[in-house]
Amino acid sequence: MWRILHVVAIGALIASAAYVYSVKYQTIYASEQIVKTRHLIAKERDAINLLRAEYAHLIRPDRLQALADAQLDMQPLALNQIVKADDLPERPAKVDSIGRKLESLGLLGQSATPNAGLTGATPAAR
Amino acid sequence: MSEPTPNAEKAVGAGETWIGRVKATARDLFSTRLDKSGGRIRMIALAMIAAYAGIAVKLVALGLSHDPPQTLKVAADQAVSGARPDLLDRNGEILATDVKTMSVFAEPRRIIDKDEAVELITAVLPDVDAKELRERLGSKKGFVWVKRQVTEKEQEEIFHLGLPGVGFLPENKRVYPNGPLGAHVIGFVDKDNIGIAGMEKYLDQQSLTDPHVAGFTVDPDALKPVRLSLDLKATHALRDELAAGIERYRAKAAAGAIIDVDTGEIVALESLPDFDPNDPGDVKDPQKINRVNVGVYEMGSTFKALSVAMALESGKVNLNSRIDARDSLRYGRFTIHDFHATHRVLTVPEVFTHSSNIGAARMALMVGVEGHQAFLKKMGQLDRLRTELPESAEPLVPKHWSELNTVTIAFGQGLNVAPIQALMAVAALVNGGNLMTPTFLPRSEAEAAAVSHRVVSEQTSESMRYLMRANATHGSATLANIPGYYVGGKTGTADKIVHGHYSPDKVFTTFMAITPADKPKYLYLVMYDEPQGLPEDGGYHTAAHNAGRVAGRLIERVEPLEGTPPASQFPDQPFPLLARLGYGFDADKVGKE
Repeated sequence: MWRILHVVAIGALIASAAYVYSVKYQTIYASEQIVKTRHLIAKERDAINLLRAEYAHLIRPDRLQALADAQLDMQPLALNQIVKADDLPERPAKVDSIGRKLESLGLLGQSATPNAGLTGATPAAR
Repeated sequence: MSEPTPNAEKAVGAGETWIGRVKATARDLFSTRLDKSGGRIRMIALAMIAAYAGIAVKLVALGLSHDPPQTLKVAADQAVSGARPDLLDRNGEILATDVKTMSVFAEPRRIIDKDEAVELITAVLPDVDAKELRERLGSKKGFVWVKRQVTEKEQEEIFHLGLPGVGFLPENKRVYPNGPLGAHVIGFVDKDNIGIAGMEKYLDQQSLTDPHVAGFTVDPDALKPVRLSLDLKATHALRDELAAGIERYRAKAAAGAIIDVDTGEIVALESLPDFDPNDPGDVKDPQKINRVNVGVYEMGSTFKALSVAMALESGKVNLNSRIDARDSLRYGRFTIHDFHATHRVLTVPEVFTHSSNIGAARMALMVGVEGHQAFLKKMGQLDRLRTELPESAEPLVPKHWSELNTVTIAFGQGLNVAPIQALMAVAALVNGGNLMTPTFLPRSEAEAAAVSHRVVSEQTSESMRYLMRANATHGSATLANIPGYYVGGKTGTADKIVHGHYSPDKVFTTFMAITPADKPKYLYLVMYDEPQGLPEDGGYHTAAHNAGRVAGRLIERVEPLEGTPPASQFPDQPFPLLARLGYGFDADKVGKE
């Protein structure tokens, strides 16, 4: 009876020692991982910071202005180009200017395109 | 300690006595007899006292020693430049930030062949002075820098030299992505990332940074970015226009600022020529100072705004008063002339729009010397103005202030002030009468109300706005009258003193503009030093043609940036107080007759 108990106790001792050992090493491993990840985060953060600084350097106003002057075929904004949405004139009625021109040329009735009146010159939109 | 034993007493030889004594002492020490315990206690007490005295002496020695033995880590921590908070503009654009770079250091004690090390290092880093490096490596220190902030390629090459006792440390390097934009406000740092000018220095003074003083390294993540009141885009517009003006008018220098009159925030500030804070170079160059804060100038006719406001505030004149400007004003051996002489009796608005020296002088004389001094003191023109920027200047105030001084100061000569002082005063004159110290940090209107105090009445303030508007429509400020913005302005052209005499050829021109004049948001200041007249301007080098024109261009550019579209129609009742008092005229019409 005592012998069995002793064996069980020794077994439990060894098992718990093994468990503690494994937990300890898992902890060490995890803390190493944490440190590594922290380093990675710090590295990434520095990289992000560098990129932000670079981006700010690239979009600095004097550089953009020089680029726009050199590359774009545009003029500086004039004050009369700024209006409030309310001040915009009403949208004019839609005019089919091409149709009107064709009409004035007298071409509207008879199309020169074969089958234009029958099937349509272009496939119908689906 | 021990009583001599009887056989020791009997001993004759000196050696025997000595041995006997030791034996006796030992015996006493280990005997358990009660009457011997006193000796033991005394001895233990003595030993304890000796031990504690030793500790005390060592502590004092450690405390007094100037050069505590340094470990490499401690030395490195102290040498590495600390992290600083980012500086942002009011919209969150980056003005200054830290990036990580590598620096090369050496531990002289661990380097075996110092000459060889110097030779190898200087081969890789040609800009390191070999002689100086040899000296540094020869020192007894545990830690010396070889070169700060090396490139990645240089780092790799040094690494491949495989020198023992040479290593790398990451350091923070301050970068200013926008180069010279706003440089005078932002300032710059030295190699150790310690602020030595501008807002960078201010931050250190606020002990937000500077880890070396505290003795520990600040955690970079714990640093919150600091927002300034500057607007990067407006600052660029200001610098761009000022620079274009310098070229066009072949001026020696220029400066300008934009201030929010309701809060006192400086939205933009530039002084040309300037410098790149990434590479400040010769910062002691007097040409590169911040002219707005550090320069003191005779502000010329812009000071008339103060004189007129003072006269109105005193109640001695009102907008309908007439001032005699028919003849030049004689004062002793001095004669005051008008630049645009009218030779007639002028109304107060006419004094302002014609920029009449005689009129301004007569108005100041009505108030008197003491009243004049008191008013300028109240407006902060006689004392050094201190903002967050460490740079400031003392105004040059005449020592003996006679009536003649009052006469000349009334039209802006004889008193040198920093332009930011004049800016502060005019902002107070147009914002409803509340004077507040300009700031380079964001400030809400509520905070501004708490730090401001009333210097002129609401009515005087409205009169000043009215006068400035009138000046823009048909006075000397018409070139800045941008359609769509209800602009008001005042020119100032001061002759510079050359060899003790005022020279009409060399002038210092200033221009102050407000928009919209009925309820100003921004006050613009533009200054030029020695601008030249252009043939298309009739050769005039007065403020209206250079500073005024540039101010107009600036309003045209900055107002849309700040979200103010041009108005399609102007306010019906821009000056209600004046209208109620019976000055029924519109600023756009007055004086046209």
